[in-house]
Amino acid sequence: MPAFDVRWVERWQNMVNQDSVARLLGRHFNADVMLEFGPHAYVVSFEHGAIGRVQHEIGPESAYQFALRAPAETWAKFVQPVPPPMYNDIIAMSHTLHGRLKIEGDVKVMWQNLRALAWALDLMRAVKE
Amino acid sequence: MAKIEPVTGHYVHVPFEGEEYRIFYEESGHGIPLVCLHTAGTDSREWRHQLNDPEISERFHVIAFDLPRHGKSIPPKGWWKEEYKLTAKFYADLVVAFCRELGLERPVVMGSSMGGNICLHLAQRYSDYFRALIAIEACDYSPGWWLDWLWHAQIHGGEACATAINGLMAPQSPFEYRQETWWYYSQGGPGIFKGDLYFYSVDHDFREDCEKISGKIPIFFMTGVYDFACTPEMTQKTAKKVRNAECIIMEDIGHFPMSENPVTFKKYLMPVLHKIK
Repeated sequence: MPAFDVRWVERWQNMVNQDSVARLLGRHFNADVMLEFGPHAYVVSFEHGAIGRVQHEIGPESAYQFALRAPAETWAKFVQPVPPPMYNDIIAMSHTLHGRLKIEGDVKVMWQNLRALAWALDLMRAVKE
Repeated sequence: MAKIEPVTGHYVHVPFEGEEYRIFYEESGHGIPLVCLHTAGTDSREWRHQLNDPEISERFHVIAFDLPRHGKSIPPKGWWKEEYKLTAKFYADLVVAFCRELGLERPVVMGSSMGGNICLHLAQRYSDYFRALIAIEACDYSPGWWLDWLWHAQIHGGEACATAINGLMAPQSPFEYRQETWWYYSQGGPGIFKGDLYFYSVDHDFREDCEKISGKIPIFFMTGVYDFACTPEMTQKTAKKVRNAECIIMEDIGHFPMSENPVTFKKYLMPVLHKIK
C-alpha cells in the first residue's frame, strides 16, 4: 500500500504539474482541497490546474473549500494501475450505494471543477513508490 | 474510393400524446428488427459499432433512435416552460409508438442503463408485441443519480455530466472509446441528463413488480463488473425475480458496453443474438 506520506503527495504534485492536460482542463481550477487518506491529511492548493502548495500540518485553522475523505485502504485501491470495480473513481466511491469516500464542504466548487480534479486524481496511479 | 459506412439516417414523425415528434434514427442491416436505446442524457451515436458490424446486421435490422430532446430529435413544443422529467410511462409508450410507426414486426429491444431499465416496463406492459428484450446494465431500482448538480447554472453541465459518468467505464476499456463516450455525454441539452435520471433513479422503482412479468418473452440481462450504478449483484437479484430471464455478467467492462468497449461487448452479445429467432 502507498505510504500516502508527504513525499508521496509531493511526487503526485510533480506528476500533476508536469501534465499538460491537467493544466488545460484546469485553467480555471483554483481551490484548496482537503485530501484525507486515513490518518494522513493534506490541504492541496490547486492554482490554474497545477498544485501550488501542499499543507501537511493540519489544524483547526486549516481552511479548504471541499474535502475528500476515505480510509487509506480505499485510496490504495483507487491508485492501483488497474483499480478494482467500485474503486476506480471518486463518484463511484462516494455514490450512495457504496459510501467508501466522503465528499464534504462546498461541493459546488468540486462539481464546477470535476473534470480537472478527476484528471489530477487519476494521475495518482502513475506515482512511483 | 470514399469510405462510407453502411448506416443511414432518417427522420420519422411519430404522433404521440397529442404531439408529433420528429425523431431521428440510424439503421443498417436486414432481418429481425433490433431497436437500440441509448443511455441517459446522450443519443444514438453510442451504437455506432453495432450498426457497423456485419455479423450483427446480416441477421438483424439494427435501428438506433434519439429520444425527443436528445441528439437530432427535437423537443416537443413549449419544452422551455417546464422541468424535464422522463417517466416510465412516457418512455415505454414512446418506444412502442416509434416501433409501430415504422411498422416493425415483433422487434427486439436492446437498451443500456435507462434503456435497460425500461425493458422491465416493456416486458410487463408489452409482452405481446416484442420478441425479446436485452436489458444491459439494468436492475429493478437504481437510486442516487437525480442530482441538482447535473443541471445548475453555475456548473458546466457538459463537463460535469460527462465526468460524473466517466468512472462507470472500466479501466480495461480503450481510453479512446471512453473519451468518445465522455464526448457524447458532454453534448446533452441543459437538464436533459438530470431529467432522464428522474426516470432512472426515481420513477423507475420496479422492486415490487418484477414477479408480475409474464415470462412470455425472454429477457437477457447483461451487466459489466465496473458498473457502480447498477452492480452485477443488483442485476442478479433482479433477474432472479423475473420469469424467463437470463443473467450475464460481463468482465472487464462497465456501464456503456456498446460504446466503451465494443470488442469485449460483442463476445457477450453474439451468443445472446444467436438465441433470438
